[in-house]
Amino acid sequence: MAWITKPSGTMKVEKRAEPYLTPAMRQELTQKILPRYEVAKGALLPALHMVQHTYGWVPQQAMLEIAEFLKITPAEVIDTASFYEEYWLKPKGAHVIAVCRSIACEFCGNREITEACKSRLGIDVGETTDDGRFTLVELECLGSCGTAPAVLIDETLHENVSPEQIVKLIDQAKDHGHGH
Amino acid sequence: MATALDTPINPNLSGPQLTKRIPCWPYADPKGRHIVWYDEFVKTGGYEGLRKALSMKPDAVTEEVKKSALRGRGGAGFPCGLKWTFLPKVTTDPAGKESDPGQRYLAVNADESEPGTFKDRLLMDFDPHLLLEGIAICCYACRIRTAYIFIRGEYHHQAHVLEKAIAEAYAKGIFGKPGLLGGAQTAKGETFAVDCYVHRGAGAYICGEETGLLEALEGKRGWPRIKPPFPAIKGLFGKPTIINNVETLAHLPSIIENGADWFLKQGTISSIAGQMGSHGTKLMGVSGHVNRPGVYELELGIKLSTIIEHPKLCAGMRNGKKFKGAIAGGVSMGILGPDQMDAEMDFDIGRKYNVLGLGTACPTVFDEDTDMVAVARNIARFFKHESCGQCTPCREGSGWLYQLLNRIEEGHARTKDLDLALEIATSMGSMPGTTICGLADGNNWAVRTIMNKYRAEFESRVKPSFVAVKMTVGAAAKG
Repeated sequence: MAWITKPSGTMKVEKRAEPYLTPAMRQELTQKILPRYEVAKGALLPALHMVQHTYGWVPQQAMLEIAEFLKITPAEVIDTASFYEEYWLKPKGAHVIAVCRSIACEFCGNREITEACKSRLGIDVGETTDDGRFTLVELECLGSCGTAPAVLIDETLHENVSPEQIVKLIDQAKDHGHGH
Repeated sequence: MATALDTPINPNLSGPQLTKRIPCWPYADPKGRHIVWYDEFVKTGGYEGLRKALSMKPDAVTEEVKKSALRGRGGAGFPCGLKWTFLPKVTTDPAGKESDPGQRYLAVNADESEPGTFKDRLLMDFDPHLLLEGIAICCYACRIRTAYIFIRGEYHHQAHVLEKAIAEAYAKGIFGKPGLLGGAQTAKGETFAVDCYVHRGAGAYICGEETGLLEALEGKRGWPRIKPPFPAIKGLFGKPTIINNVETLAHLPSIIENGADWFLKQGTISSIAGQMGSHGTKLMGVSGHVNRPGVYELELGIKLSTIIEHPKLCAGMRNGKKFKGAIAGGVSMGILGPDQMDAEMDFDIGRKYNVLGLGTACPTVFDEDTDMVAVARNIARFFKHESCGQCTPCREGSGWLYQLLNRIEEGHARTKDLDLALEIATSMGSMPGTTICGLADGNNWAVRTIMNKYRAEFESRVKPSFVAVKMTVGAAAKG
């Protein structure tokens, strides 16, 4: 949230030849998503979700492509994309371990969970393992207060987690490929 | 001595209403929960409320909801029927033909992201069609053709469940071109078609604020708008828009089916003269240090102590510890102190117990071992993290408050820091009139009520303030 300062004057957008918005994604957007909104910009969050879900992050080139596709300015796309926490503007690990740190989870033992993750992965909160497999973050409320502590691994919620369980879950995720 | 056992749970109800398809204590063991899809929903009386609504004129549906005194379940408790009447009026010509209501929208607020609140999730997890039926009734009553369910980004599973349920509803003719209920004739002798879509948020608490939600639907950053104009006049894409909470909409089918009087019998009238009562049941999600945390469907007006102690509800404090306090319902509402365990959970709670309000009625309970300074710090961090940055008092104030509380928790603060924290807390928010939305109010009520109700605990954590002044007085000064 809040503002991200960026060197707009000197910033270069890294580009690759292959577009991030594949023909299939464009087709889904055109046929399914765009007709839902009175204004094309309404499809911006769904489009960003699509890119985030497919690639695990939102590269700047993808933002340029979305801007062109929705006929809005790239500034509008970055304005929105930088506001929402769920869009990663930098690449992250293949799996994201998100430990809830809000009120019920903190007072029902989320620290032990975070510590267990840290020692298992050998990284601090906010870091990614060297092999690029895991990123560890702490999030605000996951809506699982009655079953605290809660951990979101990629898109799956785990409730009433114990430190032993989280270590097991991490090991299981390790054996699987891309998480999102 | 009266015990919790003597207190009847839901005395005016024969059984669960919102959760009749979702096993919840005290009625059934939650272990038997499963997702209720279309066929089972219809077999258990689903879409009957919608059928009855379609046999009524739209304004009669609105009237019935207004009469039921259904208050918004999203936190503010605003009367639902009254909100609907704020839409631009539709006129009828002498021939009985209605004027074109134009494009209008329903935005369903499923952005449940306040710490402590996890009640809407239960409905979306297991009984998605109940919400869809409520949406259909609201759309018909308000002459709305398009509904968006704005669901928070973290609810991946719930979004999938809703998507699937909506696909089912389209396939079965609830939504889509033929018109509601497979093109059923309405009281006006025509069909009424509604489209319903899921729109996923992306991890911003502020999008639960109604105008922030509209901005996010429009593809912008979720910055709340200045009101007026109110959304009912100028909302999504500049068109009249109704924004209702998931639980509020889920109440509609049974209100229409059973009538407003049935609903008015539940809950409680206000103990304050001239105030609107708190009727119906409420999903109360209890978390924290109790033996059986979870979501319970309870009549408004039940005592917090009953919820905590009743063996069929939370079954007492965890490890037999003593009660120290409870967040009233979502962290923004402030805290009920150690002597307020008997508070009645209804919409009067704010006036009677010095908290902001009932909120979502999802109490987080703390036992005697809880560090209240840490509680305040946790809440302040949440609001600092979630402040959208649009208004300076909130953006800066939330950061200062967090730093001060951190300092108090770490033991580096002085007594004057307590006053400074309270001063910051009382000077930001829409109620002192310094911010656009109520996020800062939530922050300041939470911090203020915790600091005031546990003052001694805060004082014991700070060093005394002293001011050293070097001055010479008396005869020496003259010389």
